Amino acid sequence: MESLILLLGWAGVFLPTALGAIGSIIGCGRAGQAASGALLDVETGYGRLVGVSALPSSQTIYGIVVTMQFNRVVTTDSAPGLFSIGLLVGLALLFSAIVQGSCCASAISTTKSKPEVFGLAIAPAAIVEGFAVFAFIFAMIVGGGIPGGATN
Amino acid sequence: MTASTNYYSLIASLPHMPRSFDVERVPISKIRLQQRLKMLGDKDECVVEKVQSFLLWDRQQSDRTDEDVASEYERLMHSITNPLVCDIINHRMDIRTITCALRRRRLGLEPPAAVGQYVKHIRAHWQQPDFHLAREHAWISRVRERLEANQPLEVERELLTVTWNRWVKLADGFHFSFETILLYLARWEIVDRWTRLDESVGRKRFDDLLAQTLSSDGDTA
Repeated sequence: MESLILLLGWAGVFLPTALGAIGSIIGCGRAGQAASGALLDVETGYGRLVGVSALPSSQTIYGIVVTMQFNRVVTTDSAPGLFSIGLLVGLALLFSAIVQGSCCASAISTTKSKPEVFGLAIAPAAIVEGFAVFAFIFAMIVGGGIPGGATN
Repeated sequence: MTASTNYYSLIASLPHMPRSFDVERVPISKIRLQQRLKMLGDKDECVVEKVQSFLLWDRQQSDRTDEDVASEYERLMHSITNPLVCDIINHRMDIRTITCALRRRRLGLEPPAAVGQYVKHIRAHWQQPDFHLAREHAWISRVRERLEANQPLEVERELLTVTWNRWVKLADGFHFSFETILLYLARWEIVDRWTRLDESVGRKRFDDLLAQTLSSDGDTA
C-alpha cells in the first residue's frame, strides 16, 4: 500500500508536465494544421499564421514549472497532495491547450480572409490562456503547503 | 488520398463562403476545389463523391423520367449512411417534389408521382394553396406567387435561398469536421449554379420543358 501511495506521489510530480505536453501537442497540432492549410489560400502574412499556432505550447512550460516546484523526496505524507494537485492542474493544462488549439485554428481561418481582425480573432485563445494561468498560479500556491517542500 | 482526413488543414485551405449566394463568381474554382479535396481520406472521399454526384444530378435534366428520379433516390438512400448526407438529399428532394406539385397544379395536371416524405401528403391536400405545408415550408406561398407571376428566375432565387439558408444554419453548428466540408460543398454548388444562370437560356429551357410536359400529357390522355 505504501508503495502505491509513493507511486502516485511521483506520478503527481510529473503529471503537470506530461498532461500539459499532451495538450500542447494536440493544440499546436490542430492550429499548425490549420495554419498549413491557410497558407494555400493566402499570399501574405505567413509568419503570423504559423506564429499563432504556437500559442498552446505555453501549457507545457507551466507544467514544467509546477513539476519543478513539486520536485522533492516523495513521502507518504506528501504523496496524496502531490498526486491530487498534480493531476488536477495537469488536466486543466491538458484541456486548456486542446481548446486553445481549436481557438487558434478558428482565428487562423478567420484571419486569412480578414487580416484586420487578427487581434480580435485571437482574443478567445488569450482568454483560454488566462484560465490555464489561473490553474498554474493556484497550483503553485496550494502546492507550497505540501509537506517536504523547500518552505516546509 | 490518405487513410484519414486532416480536417483542420483542408477546411483552413478553403476560402470563406460569401454570406449570400448572389455573387459574381464562386469563391474557389472547381478545379482548385477538386485539388483541395484530394486531402480527403479514403472513407470521406467516397462520401464526398456521392454528395457531389447527387448535387450534379440534382440539376434538372429534361430527359429524366419520374422513374429515373425514384430509382436514383432509392439507390442513394440505400447506399448512404451519413445522416447529414441523407438530410441534404431529402431536403433537395422535398423541395423538388413541392415545386413540381406547384407547377403541375398550375398547369391543371395530376399530383406528381415523385419521391420523398410529402408525396402522400400533397395528394391528400392537393386543393389547398400550400398543400397544408405552410408551417414547415413557409417559402411555398412565395414560390407559388412567383410562379403565378411567371417569374422563373425569382422562383429559382427563392428555392436556392431556402436551401442556402438551411445549409448556413446547419454549418454554424460544425467547425473543422467532415460535416463542415459537406456543407461547404453544398453551398459551393448553390453559388456555382446561381453564377451560371442565364435568364434568356433559362426562359428558353423553361418553355421547352413546358412544351415537353404538355405534349407528353397529351400523348397519355
